Formats: sequence, C-alpha cells, structure tokens
Amino acid sequence: MRKWEEMQERSFYESTARERAVNLVDKGTFTELLAPIDKKTSPHLPILGEAVSFDDGVVTGVGKIGNRPVFVISQEGRFIGGAVGEVHGAKMVATFRLAQQSYEKIKAKYPNDYESRVPAVVISFETGGVRLHEANAGLLAHAEVMEQIQHCRGKIPVIGLVGSKVGCFGGMGFVVVATDMVIMSDRGRIGLTGPEVIEEAMGKKEFDASDKSLIYRITGGKHKYIMRDAAYLVQDTIGAFHKQVAEALKMSYDEVQSHRCIGSLKLVEEQLELVKIAAENNFKDATDVWAYFGNKKSDQIQDQFYDEFIREAKRRPRR
Amino acid sequence: MALQELKFSFKPEKNYISFAPEWFHSGVVGSGDMEVLMEHKKQDGKVTVKVVTPVTGFDQVWEKVLAKFVAETKIGNLHMEINDNNATPFIVHMRLKQALFEAKGDVES
Amino acid sequence: MGMTMLGKGRKAISMILDEGSFVEGKIDGYTLPDIGPGAVIGTGSLKGRKVTVIANDAMVRNPRFPVVYSGVIGMEEAYKMATTVYKMIELDKNKPQGEKRPLVLIVDTPGNGPGKVEELFGMNKATGAYQLSLAEARQHGHPIVAMIIGRAISGAFLCHGLQADHILSLSEEFQTMIHVMPLAGISRITKRDIESLTELSKTNPVFASGAGFFYKLGGLEELVHNVDDMKDTIDRHITEVYKCNAEGNSEKCGPWGRGILGKERGGRETRDEVIRMMYDEFAKVEAQYI
Repeated sequence: MRKWEEMQERSFYESTARERAVNLVDKGTFTELLAPIDKKTSPHLPILGEAVSFDDGVVTGVGKIGNRPVFVISQEGRFIGGAVGEVHGAKMVATFRLAQQSYEKIKAKYPNDYESRVPAVVISFETGGVRLHEANAGLLAHAEVMEQIQHCRGKIPVIGLVGSKVGCFGGMGFVVVATDMVIMSDRGRIGLTGPEVIEEAMGKKEFDASDKSLIYRITGGKHKYIMRDAAYLVQDTIGAFHKQVAEALKMSYDEVQSHRCIGSLKLVEEQLELVKIAAENNFKDATDVWAYFGNKKSDQIQDQFYDEFIREAKRRPRR
Repeated sequence: MALQELKFSFKPEKNYISFAPEWFHSGVVGSGDMEVLMEHKKQDGKVTVKVVTPVTGFDQVWEKVLAKFVAETKIGNLHMEINDNNATPFIVHMRLKQALFEAKGDVES
Repeated sequence: MGMTMLGKGRKAISMILDEGSFVEGKIDGYTLPDIGPGAVIGTGSLKGRKVTVIANDAMVRNPRFPVVYSGVIGMEEAYKMATTVYKMIELDKNKPQGEKRPLVLIVDTPGNGPGKVEELFGMNKATGAYQLSLAEARQHGHPIVAMIIGRAISGAFLCHGLQADHILSLSEEFQTMIHVMPLAGISRITKRDIESLTELSKTNPVFASGAGFFYKLGGLEELVHNVDDMKDTIDRHITEVYKCNAEGNSEKCGPWGRGILGKERGGRETRDEVIRMMYDEFAKVEAQYI
C-alpha cells in the first residue's frame, strides 16, 4: 500500500475497504482485528459454490485520531457487493462492543478528563445490505448492529461515511441514518429499496429503474446533504473524510449528536413534518424537492462542482 | 456446486530467496479477481499453495501459472493461500508478483 | 389448508387482549396522530396487565402514499409506531423498572414502502427511527414481545419485530412467512437452481425461508402451534423478560440474546467465534489505545 500521505489524496470512491480503514485514522495507528491471517471466511458460501474472502468483505480494527481510539468498520463493495453475512455482521457487532468496553475502561482510568479520550466508531459503508446467500444470518446481524448503535448513545460518537462505489443500500440504508453523523461525498449514495423493486411497485411510467441519472439524484450525496440526512458533504478523497472525522472528534458529544436525523421523539416529529410536505406536494424528482427548499437553479445542481454547490445550496431548515 | 480446493507444492529454485515477512496479504476477491495471503513457512525452500475457487477444471492452468511465478521470482519458504473468484491466469500472475513486490516493502508505483 | 391469521391483525388483537379492552389510537391520555392507517396502535389489557399494542392492518390503504397497503409499513406508519414507543417511555418515565408497561408487536408485514417519494424523503429514516425507539424502550425496561401471525419479511421484520426482547411465531401450518426473500428470488440472485437450494436448505437454515429455520438460527424464541395459545404464551414471555431484566440479564433478550440463542441451537456458531477472537486480539493491543 502507498504511503499514508499519498493515500490522503486518493479517491475515496476508488479505494478498497482496507485502504480506507488504514488511512481514515492517524498515520501508523491502525491495527486490524480479525485480519486476513485469521482466515475467518464465511462458513456458508462454500456450499453454494460462492468465492470466499479472508475478511468476509469487511475490514475491522482500531486506530487513533489525536488522543482518541477510533474503532473502524470498513466494508468492501467488490466482494459480493459488500453485503452482510454471519462473519461480516459479527465483526461489525464485535467492533461496537469493543468500543463500549473501551469507553468503560477509559472512564475508570481517567475519571477527571475521560471526555477528551472517549472512543468513537467510524463506519465506512459500502454495501447492499443483507447477503442473500446467508440471508437469515445477515438479517439478524442488522438487528444487532441497530441495537449496538442505541447502546452507544450518550457515550460514544458513531459516524457513518458514504462515498464508495456500491453506496449504502438495503438494511444498511437505515443503519447509516441511525448514526450520530453522516459524512458523504457527492458520489456517495444512500437508499433503502432497490430501483427494480420500486419500478415493480410503481410502474415504469412513474419510476424507470434504468434511469441512472434519476436514481443518482434521489440517492446521491447532494440530495442527502440538502435533506440534512448527511451532515457534511466532502470532496472525494480519503483525506477529506479523515479531516471531517477529525473535526467531528473535536466537537462535544452533544454537538456531534445534534446532527442526528432520527433517535428521539423530537426528531421523529421533525421528520413527520417532512412526510407531511411529501404528502401535500406531488414531487416527481429530487429537483422538485430542491426547488421546494429554495434552490432556484435546481436543474443545475447535479452538474455543479463541489465548491459552488456548497456555497449556494439551500438546505432543509431545521425545526 | 461446492467450492473447489486445490493444493500444490513446488520445489525451490537453487538460489531461492526465503520469504521474509511473517505474513502479507494483498488483493480483493472481486468478480474476476483474487486475494492472496503469503506466509513465511520454513519448509526447505518449498512453496506450497492452496487455491479456493468456484471454477472447476483448471487445475493444470493453476499449476502452470504458479510454477512460472515460483521460477521467475525464485521465492522459497512460502505458503500461499489464494481465494479466487474467476481471475484469469494473467491476473493471477500479475497479482502474485504485485503482492510479493509489496511484501518486500516496496510500494506499488 | 388449515387456519391462517394472514391479514388478520385486528382479529389477532382481539384474540390476544382481554375482551373489549383495546382502545385504539390512544396511549393513556395521549392521542396518536391520525396518520398511517396500516399501523393499528393502542392500549389494552392482557390477562389484566396494561400493554401497548402495535399491529399491522393489511386491509387498508394509505390514501396519501399509493405503495403503502397490504400491511406495508410506510413512512407515516413507521413514524407513528416510533411516536408511540417514545410516548410510552415518557408516560412511564417515573415508574420503577419492573413496572414499565409491556409492548406487544403483532407482526404481519410484507415490507417497507417501496416508492420514489419514500426514497426521496427517507423511508430508511422512518424504519430506522422505529427500531431505535424500540431499542431505547428495552433499555428503560419495557418488555417487548413480538408475535408473528403472518408475514415477517426482510426490512419490515427488522423494523417491526427484530428489536423485540422475545419473538414468537405461529408455526408454518398457519402459513406464516419469515424471510428476506423467497427461495425463488435467492435462486435468481445466487444463480443456483431452486431444487438444489431446497435440498441444501434442509441442512443449512441460513438462507432458507420459514419459521422453523429462524427458530434453529435463534431468530425467534418460541413457535406457537395453536392460535388459542397466543395469549398465554405472550403473557408468559412478558413475565420472563421482566424476570431477565430484574436479574440484570437484559442482554439475554433482544438481538444480542438471540445471537447467544443461535449458538445454543447450533444454527449460528461462527458469530460467537468471531466475536471472541476479536476480543482476544484487541486485548493484546489494548494498551496502545486506552
């Protein structure tokens, strides 16, 4: 792998899960847990004749950013679309548990200044959700991850990053928005239901699954930034994501979690107001929603460069 | 239908270079691609290989590509495990050489 | 075909709760927003115990969101469910742990809203919000028991069911469906013919569809073989969950608890190995980080 400094300039979108994991934390601080040498491959793929991988499509480990231990989960979209099976899911869950155990230890060790030392969990999502080859185990793992996110509340910042090729879909589409803060690049995509299923439910006239541009507008980073599902939109480099995570870790816990979109009655009420807007307006495209929130040149947004977009974008007002 | 497991063993070249790192991993099991885990193993210079692949009937091709890699690099005392997902012989050869190059501490240019 | 409860969420409520005790749309004095008609929510008593109930009504359509019908959980439904849970937590805020009211989920849902406006405004947030609220209710000590009477499919099961302390299901004779995708779909995606998948699923429950396989994986606590037993079984599980919480063993319930169950039943043994290995490996480097 190239040097850390060079990797900071590298496209996040193009990077492998391991490249992201190692280079999202401070230089030379990353230790992979359950690394390839452990050879913990999926017990279920071989009987289906499906290729296995030593990391089961997710790199897990721990590094540091400044003073703080950062537990990293980084999914690999090239391996079965980054989908979650039994091993993959267990690695995610164990990482959350380790972060919580570390929190307790740090609190005991530094009772007076533990707040500046508390761990964080950073997840670099690249996944289509449940791995169908081991669907039931994948589903159960999703439930466990959601439970662990709730258990981190009030203690450990959990930050979701989305900017890789596969995007973040299916069940992981709700896991990502359950984190405290979502950081995306323009190339990142978040969604729940696959385009083909939507076409099936709505008819091709209403929703054409082959219209890549439409799907990109709906699921892409710019839309999620305008909607505030993503707290920050960054450039497509590992360094830009690393820098934004480091900024987040300088914030107080309360400030980090002020970027949540769900997770309390107040936030649910805020989202319900949005649903009301959705019910009252016949939005056909993301551009209609952008215009609704005050973006005058909404048809040009998709082609805008990063700086111009950040400067001009009107985001959904908070309550 | 199940995954195939192939095993190979190669005698070392005369002036073989012993694989030094304890272990080194490289590659991603994407479609048409593979990963390799290289481990130092004291075995009189031999190179042993385990390949796990969904493709059947290419044992001889594997043998040939791996033998070529061992001969070209003169590497020894190495155990490799490859998880393959339909990589072509060309890709396999390239990935192995790349991995060994990186394992020696050089970085990909 | 024997009896089925598919599509009969309302009937299930009347079978499970004490006669005439269900008050829809209210949790104590709080009136729920009049949205999401597919989410039937209210308060009733179960063997004299006051419970909150959240069920699916598969017979109604959401007039505002055309893809939401047949028990589909849309944005309104999911947020209404989440609102209920948070309100319940608030109302019982001053009660001691053993007196937090139980929540009964009656599950018959085929999915989350699969529409364009849902993607635009965030179906993912709605289903995520409901899951977080349930996980929070458990932390406060509200026992949550889910009863699958019909369909518990994929993401909809994740949101309405899988965060419960205990999950019960009518057995397969009642045409219950628990899966991510039917075997035919899995066959298409994995490119394996359906015959061999059916054969394989006999020995490996990990991708197969059905309540029996989920039981083997620890995905649910108990199968119920008679509809008339639903009430007593739910009641018994509520008592068990209270007991677990009182003994400080809340982690024996819920998603993590079902991980333990999956190992005990031999359906998910690798999960536990992975977790233990990661703990051991971290212990060796811990000093560098803490």
